Amino acid sequence: MSTGSTTSTPSTANAPSTANAPRAASTPSAPKRRRRRRTAERRPRFAIAVTAVFFALLYLPVGVVVLFSFNSQKSLTVFEDFSLRWYTAFLQDDVILDSLGMSLQVSLVAMAGSLVLGVALALGLVRSRSRLRSFAGLVMLVPLITPEIVTGVAAMLLFKGLGITLSTTTVMLAEITFSISYVTVILRSRIAALNPEVEEAAMDLGATRRQALRLVTLPALLPSILASAVLIFALVFDDFVLAYFTTGVDPQPLSVRIYSAIRFGVQPTINAVGTLMLAGSVGLIVLALAIPRLFGRRGGLDLLSGK
Amino acid sequence: MDLAPAPRHPLDDRLPGRLPPPGGHPRPRHHRPLGNPRFGFNPDNLTALADPAYRTVLLRSLGYALITCLICLAVAYPVAYAIALRGGRFKNLLIAAIVVPFFANYLVRMYGWSVVLSDDGTKVLQTGAGVVAGLVYGFVVFMIIPLYAAMERMDTSLIEAGRDLYGGPLRTFLYVTVPATRQGAAAGCVLVFLPAMGDFVSAQLMGGPDQIMIGNLIQDKFFQGQNWPLGSALTMLLMVVLFLGMLGYLRRTRKDEAEAAR
Repeated sequence: MSTGSTTSTPSTANAPSTANAPRAASTPSAPKRRRRRRTAERRPRFAIAVTAVFFALLYLPVGVVVLFSFNSQKSLTVFEDFSLRWYTAFLQDDVILDSLGMSLQVSLVAMAGSLVLGVALALGLVRSRSRLRSFAGLVMLVPLITPEIVTGVAAMLLFKGLGITLSTTTVMLAEITFSISYVTVILRSRIAALNPEVEEAAMDLGATRRQALRLVTLPALLPSILASAVLIFALVFDDFVLAYFTTGVDPQPLSVRIYSAIRFGVQPTINAVGTLMLAGSVGLIVLALAIPRLFGRRGGLDLLSGK
Repeated sequence: MDLAPAPRHPLDDRLPGRLPPPGGHPRPRHHRPLGNPRFGFNPDNLTALADPAYRTVLLRSLGYALITCLICLAVAYPVAYAIALRGGRFKNLLIAAIVVPFFANYLVRMYGWSVVLSDDGTKVLQTGAGVVAGLVYGFVVFMIIPLYAAMERMDTSLIEAGRDLYGGPLRTFLYVTVPATRQGAAAGCVLVFLPAMGDFVSAQLMGGPDQIMIGNLIQDKFFQGQNWPLGSALTMLLMVVLFLGMLGYLRRTRKDEAEAAR
């Protein structure tokens, strides 16, 4: 880090040369000065210790699940022997495999649907001159700040009110609706950062609006679009609450299946399924974070600042 | 380990009039299969909210969510500080290490956490502390990220200045770092508070029947109690409470921004 080195070196280098001469006469201030110098350079031990404990606690539960997924016994406290028993159990469990298939299907459809709508919405929110623009921007943010249980209840009641039987389709619809906000938030800033003159130049060269969009704007947005696609896939695949409220009886999304399993006691197969889900999601998130860099651009997908 | 099944709380017995009659509601079955609500206006479900038992659950949820916020603040400040100011070239890696497991399956993480807590032998499960521990584990990342962003933006020479003025580490932190990152902390509190209020997994996996939150009540009304109108009314109640909180937050940040602009 650059600031750390630039701030610490002057204080050590300057202190003896500039401050020593005048201060030497006033003896009472001498020990104080020494103490100050030490505090300025001291590492924040407390903060670092808390951080270390935090990381340990953050990964401990995940580690427990992963470790005991390889246990040869059913126990969650004693690790007997390494075995793939629970993974084979998972591969023979048709109900869970059906759920896995459904979750994959839902995630793919939600990814595609929310990308199309989200990109369109983001373009509209940045480019439109309509007075509805800021209102639409506000409405789009609502799902992000509403507790999921409210969104879930609302979606379920809407479907029921329209007389639609809850099924895989309703989960897809709910997840698409929910994911649009993420796509739009991610893409909005990228679109705003685009240079509009490039698109104008394309149109000056005879491109139609649609051609300019297809040949200039969308390729420029491709890294962000791919990153949000991967992210949406992972989010939807892992989503529990919304799926829980909008799913029918059979098949149920994997996370809902896990939920009912862990409610009724420990089933080690869940450790295996959970481990695979964790590995899959972590892989996807890392991919989502890496995609913009692969394209050689900085700041494509910024999960942290949201700016 | 006994992962408690859905807590059946005594509230259902207190509302005999609002449970469906034995034969189900009179309705054309061929149009509306069992389980579909009949739409129409009826204030009963809103007045039912006045039941003191619901107030208890709501207040408990508010309390848990607030305590969760405070603990998250206490954890996130040192973590964000250490990473933002001392992370060096590992900064991004450390933040990614926090964000990545957070995006991974919430249920699996909560489940692992409940296993860890039950192994502990400290009898945290089945208590309010267990529920709060679950909420903190579930949502602390929402506090760290905005705080980290605020600390990154913060002018670190302010901290140097605090030290130069003979402020100890604690005083410098309280009078310089905290005010400079206040907005990040406020955003984090909102981001933690909202999902914590609506959560029902934590109370289910880590609390007993006496620690149910409003989320559990809503879930119960929809899935066990089959009293959808009442569940909807409870959802409305949750939304209204959160909306009022958001209004307060927005007014506060507006004021902050206005002051900053001046």
